[in-house]
Amino acid sequence: MIVDPDLFESMRMELRRGSLVLAVLARLREERYGYTLRQALASDGLEMEESTLYPLLRRLESQGLLTSEWREEEKRKKRFYRLSPMGEAMLSALADEWRGINASLDKIL
Amino acid sequence: MDLIDRYLNAVAAQLPLDERDDIVAELRDLILSRFEAGEDELGRALTDAEKEAILQEIGHPLVVAARYRKGPDALVGPELFPYWLFGVKAGLLVLLAVHAIGLFINLIGGPADAGRAIAQAFHSFFGAGLTLIGAATLAAAIFEHYGIRPTWLTKWRVKDLGAFGLSDPAAWGASVAATDKAKQTWMPRPRKGWPGGEYLFSFLATGVFVLWWVGAIHFPGLFHVGLRGEDAVATGAPIWTTLYGAILFYAVAQMAVDLASLVRPYAVRMRAAAQAVLAGIGLWLTWTIFEAGHWFTLTRDGETARIAGDWVLLDFDRLRAIGDGGRDLVGVASTLSLVMSWAIAIVAISLMFNAVANLWRLVQPERRSAT
Repeated sequence: MIVDPDLFESMRMELRRGSLVLAVLARLREERYGYTLRQALASDGLEMEESTLYPLLRRLESQGLLTSEWREEEKRKKRFYRLSPMGEAMLSALADEWRGINASLDKIL
Repeated sequence: MDLIDRYLNAVAAQLPLDERDDIVAELRDLILSRFEAGEDELGRALTDAEKEAILQEIGHPLVVAARYRKGPDALVGPELFPYWLFGVKAGLLVLLAVHAIGLFINLIGGPADAGRAIAQAFHSFFGAGLTLIGAATLAAAIFEHYGIRPTWLTKWRVKDLGAFGLSDPAAWGASVAATDKAKQTWMPRPRKGWPGGEYLFSFLATGVFVLWWVGAIHFPGLFHVGLRGEDAVATGAPIWTTLYGAILFYAVAQMAVDLASLVRPYAVRMRAAAQAVLAGIGLWLTWTIFEAGHWFTLTRDGETARIAGDWVLLDFDRLRAIGDGGRDLVGVASTLSLVMSWAIAIVAISLMFNAVANLWRLVQPERRSAT
């Protein structure tokens, strides 16, 4: 059977899109700034474009799920992000949902 | 001003004022971090070209800034798009029907100038169509911006859905008659799968052109232009003699490609490569003909007028006034000059699309099997 590569790529991106928010929240249990967060996600096998990651961080912060702070490190001011208490609760709820979806899909697949 | 400042200035100009400094400071840190990582990897300072490559990876300033926008990403979002598309299709079909009926009544009512009536109908249809599309898009953009969802979008009933089938004109007869027999007559049939039909038609049509070009067949009256009173005769300009061999080669090459495609209709890449080359040759021919500037000469009773054109004629105001040309020899030549200039321009654009589409087919990766 033939798999159209363009269609596969578009469906793969769709599949990944929702999980990236969960990955970002999970990685920010530990404080990080944008560049190191992206590196951490990449080392987990979750490559993410900067032009997607940085606006996502701002959106999550405006939703109250992250807190941020400008601080100097390596002679340069950097913006550090970490999970807010509301973010921790949201991460826990989303992780439960994710495991539920995984379990359901595992039964089907 | 260095590369980073120039890049960040371009991003900053697209950002809302209250967040601009904050976002730019964060992007600056990101860019510097990327530069430092590159320098660590190479063990030397980055060249300007390497820095620019990193900025290109981060994204075009317009795209990067757009990701920070808080409003909707599209004028017509995915939720509204089906309604927008239906509205536009249905509206255009209604406009087409109204204009066709208007033109028909105008023509059978004994018009002074049928050509002008047709030109005005086209002009009016395209103007009204563009206005309709613009109005529908504006309405959708307002709905998107303010998050409006009228109740007729959200609370619909099955018994009200009959009208939605009317956006397909092939279903109009079936919808009116509503019997199975009528539906069988009016509903469109699925297309047959053999792709060779298209190539056969192209082969035969080009073959007729080649026979006419070499003088083997004639179309009486082809070069006679009807004027009030005596007809004028059109004779070709020297450019056609100059390009005689090139045009013949182009047409014969097209026939050869069609023939090869008929023999191997599924050799898509072979046809794409040949069509891309032919489109390139076609573009060169079109350009040469356009640049020649003089295409035909109209003659009547010893009086002559040139059918000729240049870039000046490719102007929408002139196109809108196409029906205003006189019916004397000079007026007709002037109208034909305008028509030919636009026809050549449209052919050139279509050849460009043809070339790009075929090149795209060539660079598409091979389809692979699922594991």
